[in-house]
Amino acid sequence: MSRDRFRRKKHRQTTEAETAVTYRDRASYAMDAQLASLASAGDDAAFTALVTRFQPAVFRWALTFARDPDEAEDITQEVFVRTYRQLGDYRSDGPLEAWLYAITRRAALQLTRKGKRRARLALTPAASPTRDVYITDPGGRVDRERAATVIHQLFAGLPRRQREIFDLVDLQGLSPAEAAERTGMKSVSVRANLFKARKALRESLLATHPAYGELPR
Amino acid sequence: MTCQECLSELATGSLRELRADSAVMAHCATCPDCGPLATALREREYDAATLLNNLRPMSNPITVAERAGELARRRRVGKVAVFASGVALVLTFWAALFTTGLGRGLMGLDGSGASRLSTEIIPLSCLSPQQAADIINPFVRSHGSTYYIGHSGVAAITVRGTADEIAKSRELIGQFETRASCNTSLADRIREIQKAVEDASQPREVAPPATTVAPPAGDLVPPVKKQ
Repeated sequence: MSRDRFRRKKHRQTTEAETAVTYRDRASYAMDAQLASLASAGDDAAFTALVTRFQPAVFRWALTFARDPDEAEDITQEVFVRTYRQLGDYRSDGPLEAWLYAITRRAALQLTRKGKRRARLALTPAASPTRDVYITDPGGRVDRERAATVIHQLFAGLPRRQREIFDLVDLQGLSPAEAAERTGMKSVSVRANLFKARKALRESLLATHPAYGELPR
Repeated sequence: MTCQECLSELATGSLRELRADSAVMAHCATCPDCGPLATALREREYDAATLLNNLRPMSNPITVAERAGELARRRRVGKVAVFASGVALVLTFWAALFTTGLGRGLMGLDGSGASRLSTEIIPLSCLSPQQAADIINPFVRSHGSTYYIGHSGVAAITVRGTADEIAKSRELIGQFETRASCNTSLADRIREIQKAVEDASQPREVAPPATTVAPPAGDLVPPVKKQ
């Protein structure tokens, strides 16, 4: 009898937790949709609120696609330019976050393609910066340099999809199903990409193990 | 669990979901090779996640929003300008085509196109159709122009071409049709044909009867009928 009561209590707690999440999400979606509606109607204050709310998330997503934090800043700016222009197209039936993520992906890919073309120009001496932009924030500069190193170490050798999925699941903590929903990929593809990305990234460390050579490939 | 099983699990499994009571962690707790490796892998991913997730953009969101609005407006104007330029370019192109002979020629509005072709039969009294074709051939050359020669013996040639080409063909054929040499040769041919017809219609002569050979005068042998 006490066991049944315990189960019922546990079930009730789980249901309450799920309901709470749903309520919070709905409230959040409603607020986002309201902000988007106001911003698309020309309310600059609402758009500023929207940017303030989503800028860190967009910047974090952009880090996955960029080579360094500076490029991620450029991608973030581009994302909000496109958001400003396309807010009228946003339908409130889905979360604004997923819509912004799709814009971030597209903007990042286009800027990366442009960046490759501009890379040749950047090699000229006239293109080098004349002053250090982080001179007022040495701490931020160290963090950014470390982030650039991490991005290079983790992502440089991975294909774009594997990099994206690994970042979403293993670094940002989304479930494979959530990652599939956000990227528009099939769940099976997400798992396959995740599998390959993990294997590629951990290979160098695992190679130090004496039994690594006997591992079936 | 063996080291190989542990390694294969560490190679592709989720390190965040590894629980302390799992078989992998139990093995790593006792294995001197796998333990540090698992720790190093988890630390590396944890550090990377922490660093990237805690990194904040340096730009001010208000500045980003203002700049986004300004850039979006500028792009909208740019888009309109590009569209207008494109329309103007197309209009200029077509205007240039129509004002120059090239465009009119391409459109068939200068009388040289297929829409201005006409067909006409030129009767021949002297020249044969083949001869007429040889004469007009260099002058019927524009796109779609041609001539037809009948195979049933009709003394005529059919010309399809522009008004200029048909007039030129008519003029050339007319020049050759009125020549005396052309008429003479035709008359000669008619005469030859008539003679051939007459020859063919005359009855053939009967063959002469068998002749006897007279013997030499000094020969006494009586004449013998030739068998």
